[in-house]
Amino acid sequence: MKPLMLHGHERAITQIKYNREGDLLFSSSKDKKPNVWYSLNGERLGSFNGHNGSVWCIDVNWDTTRFLSGSGDNSLRVWDCQTGKEIGLLHTNSSVRTCSFSYSANLAVYSTDKALGHQCEMFIIDIKNVDAVLSQADAISRIAVNGPRISAILWGALDETIITGHEDGEITLWDVRTRKKMTSVKSHKSQINDMQFNKDGTMFVTASKDNTAKLFDSESLMLLKTYKTERPVNSATISPIFDHVVLGGGQDAMDVTTTSTRQGKFDSRFFHLVFEEEFARLKGHFGPINSLAFHPNGRSFSTGGEDGYVRINTFDQSYFDFHFEY
Amino acid sequence: MAKKTLADKTPQNEDNVKNNDDIFNDDEEPNFSDPEGFIDDITDEELLGDILKQKPSETDGVESVIVVDGVPQVEPERLEKLQSVISKVLGKFGTIMNQYYPKNENGYTKGYIFLEYNNPLNALAAAQSVNNYKIDKQHTFKVNLFTDFKKFEEIADEWEPPKPQEFKAAADLHYYLLEPDAYDQFCVLCGNGASVTVQVWQNSAPEPTLLEERSRWTETYVKWSPLGTYLATFHKLGVALWGGPQFLQQARFSQKGVECIDFSPGERYLVTYTPRTDLGSDQKRLVIWDILTGQEKRAFFADGSSVWPIFRWSHDDKYLARMGEDVLSVYETPSFGLLDKKSIKIPGIRDFSWSPTDNVLAYWVPEDKDVPARVTLLEIPKEKQIPVDSVEIKEPIHAFAWEPVGSKFAIIHGEIPSVNVSFYEVRYGHQPALLRCHVHKHLFYSTEKLEKKACNHLFWSPSGQFIVLAGLTTMAGALEFIDTNDFTIMNSTDHYQTSDVEWDPTGRYVVTAVSSWKTSVDNGYWIWTFQGRILKRVNLNQFNQLLWRPRPPTLLTPEQIKEIKKNLKKYSAQFESKDRMRLTRASKELIEKRCAAMKAFEEYRSKRIQEWNNQKKRRLELRNAIDTDELDSDSKNVEEEVIEFFVKEETFIIDEK
Repeated sequence: MKPLMLHGHERAITQIKYNREGDLLFSSSKDKKPNVWYSLNGERLGSFNGHNGSVWCIDVNWDTTRFLSGSGDNSLRVWDCQTGKEIGLLHTNSSVRTCSFSYSANLAVYSTDKALGHQCEMFIIDIKNVDAVLSQADAISRIAVNGPRISAILWGALDETIITGHEDGEITLWDVRTRKKMTSVKSHKSQINDMQFNKDGTMFVTASKDNTAKLFDSESLMLLKTYKTERPVNSATISPIFDHVVLGGGQDAMDVTTTSTRQGKFDSRFFHLVFEEEFARLKGHFGPINSLAFHPNGRSFSTGGEDGYVRINTFDQSYFDFHFEY
Repeated sequence: MAKKTLADKTPQNEDNVKNNDDIFNDDEEPNFSDPEGFIDDITDEELLGDILKQKPSETDGVESVIVVDGVPQVEPERLEKLQSVISKVLGKFGTIMNQYYPKNENGYTKGYIFLEYNNPLNALAAAQSVNNYKIDKQHTFKVNLFTDFKKFEEIADEWEPPKPQEFKAAADLHYYLLEPDAYDQFCVLCGNGASVTVQVWQNSAPEPTLLEERSRWTETYVKWSPLGTYLATFHKLGVALWGGPQFLQQARFSQKGVECIDFSPGERYLVTYTPRTDLGSDQKRLVIWDILTGQEKRAFFADGSSVWPIFRWSHDDKYLARMGEDVLSVYETPSFGLLDKKSIKIPGIRDFSWSPTDNVLAYWVPEDKDVPARVTLLEIPKEKQIPVDSVEIKEPIHAFAWEPVGSKFAIIHGEIPSVNVSFYEVRYGHQPALLRCHVHKHLFYSTEKLEKKACNHLFWSPSGQFIVLAGLTTMAGALEFIDTNDFTIMNSTDHYQTSDVEWDPTGRYVVTAVSSWKTSVDNGYWIWTFQGRILKRVNLNQFNQLLWRPRPPTLLTPEQIKEIKKNLKKYSAQFESKDRMRLTRASKELIEKRCAAMKAFEEYRSKRIQEWNNQKKRRLELRNAIDTDELDSDSKNVEEEVIEFFVKEETFIIDEK
């Protein structure tokens, strides 16, 4: 089917996310306004106006009442989903690189970049009742991260753990209560650009600058599978209905001119989750894909690109008819 | 403290000095003695080996002594005369420091004398020159170094035959030609510096097989010998040749800083060259070696301006020639002497080439004022002038290539980017005839994409007929596979950024490669059939080079080849069934692999899903008792909402009738 092209951003898309039901699609970009769209027809529902810098990360809670955004303007903002109003503002010392609601959405975590005079830090905050006090209230936990900064983040399944992906490819599992590292693995050779859970949250897929995506167990961080490409992988997402993983990426923006778009270097690439074999590619963007997300019903998926477009791709029947022989 | 010590040292306090000695030492002078239990494990050799080498060694002068036998026996009265004769004969080799004439009880000399020179070298020179010197009819001098006696004494009485060395059968260097399916091999070089890796693959169907992989096998690049027997690797200290089923080292040629090598066509000789001039005056920069014995045959003077290969070989390794300014020097093997002891003077020689089948050499002299350009065939040693056929193209020419088998040649001409490719056929006694002009301006406008492709290189199949037109590097890697029998374009495609095109030696496969020597992205190689059907894409980080292993010329006679071509249908049926079988086997293996992977994964998953199910209560607690495990698992809370979307607006004009 013809993809829906969502053109509401003026600059490169940084992250896209569906809400739990999949009727809404949220997008953030290097322009200052995250958008929310109807996933069914691509109509824009509204924008979240307030940030003064690139928005690096977004998240929406499980019942689609709150929306989080972290930005290069050194702030994390909380929004009311229904009205689009800003209801909470937290100032930080440096850019907010990652943010995420916990499973219950009573807690949230965000991390800040290493910048002049400030090291990378991870903050766990109580976000159950957002009011004016939020900006003054102390974080529940403030964990200084020595060494390579956090570049991707996930809450563990039951609000109990946090998984961080780092600039040097390391993945660390934190105990929220003790604030201690429980375990960490270094399977990737370079920066983790994205981490996404499978449907039940027991596994997650990483996307790394080292040209691979990998599948890990969420509890033990055991490496399960590796998907290899010849390009940096910016994002990867797992189908909720099939054993499929979709990878997106491409060259860094500065190297893009040396690549021909015909070569399919900016394709979404489909891999079998278990066999690690690539079986399909989908063309679209005129630059690297920065973020990918499966619709929770598995019948469509969206991509956000360096070219500023979000594309909603609905699968044809042939996708559902295709089965691996084994 | 220091002050006090000084005061202590004054003579008045002399008595105290002794007592304070220890304090003094501790304070002012570092302790050089080894700590207790220290074991000196550094040898003097290691510490000051270079100085020790210059240390004069003791000698008792015995090396400077010679023994002369066969000296006339004389009475004491004539001794003086004898001595003057001896000093005349033997004194010219150096100053004689001592002489001793043993005498018997009557005072007669005994017929042998001892002489000591001022140094051992003079003694050696005297011994070598004067030995067997006839002083008169009866007397011949026998001269030996005094030290030789010791050596002669120690010779065993019984002769022991040398032990025969165990016979080592040489590995079959041509095993790869016996491959039943005639699969060709190719080697792949990737990585740089410390991470260089060389792989040797067999191009088997349906998937190539890795035969050998070694990291740091070479330090720069690799090269096959012209018949495919050896793989040459380059190292700081020289070149090594590898061969046989295990790729064992077959030969080694040491030349520091070697950068270029060239095999003779028959693989008997190897030419090595280093451009470095900083390796000392005795460094040989251009050397020819015998491959089987590993011996140096001859070293040549190398001037910096030459184009590699400096030497060009005749087809049978008999001659090699080198071009200089207005001269051509032909050398013959195995002596490597200049043929007829002089170079051939050819004013204005620009280029030359040996015939691939005979010892005939062609050289070319360009047009000079009124004298037209000419090509001369030089049959060693006769000479023959032949007229030149010329085809005039009134456009710039970008590439030219002869069909390796057959009589056609192809050229790329025209103004870039609208270039044309023309094919000509050469017939005996005729002007070359234009067969087909391939107008790219139109052909490369494919109707679908309207993308303009252009080519700048020609690659003939080694067996002729088929040609690949390629637009390398700057031209985005456009590829066209053409059958020149009827000039059909079998496929028009591209491999972005292709830097090299390599036909396999049989003309069945073509490889297009993107080398990291040319560009840093998308490195790797693609394997195609000669018809341009893609077989395999290999993306390899830091890929540098792919080289097919050459094959010696076929042993089949032209009649046999003709016979095979006639019965091609019969053979191709056999090959096809073989291919089908291989494919089935491969897909069966793949399916087995998948089955195993799926089984292992499901085992792991079932455990995790069990754990997840056990956590359901916790999940419900965290989300206000609402089940969100499935999209539709929370049916109570669903509100149906109807949303209307504007789909499309159309305006019709209703017919008035």
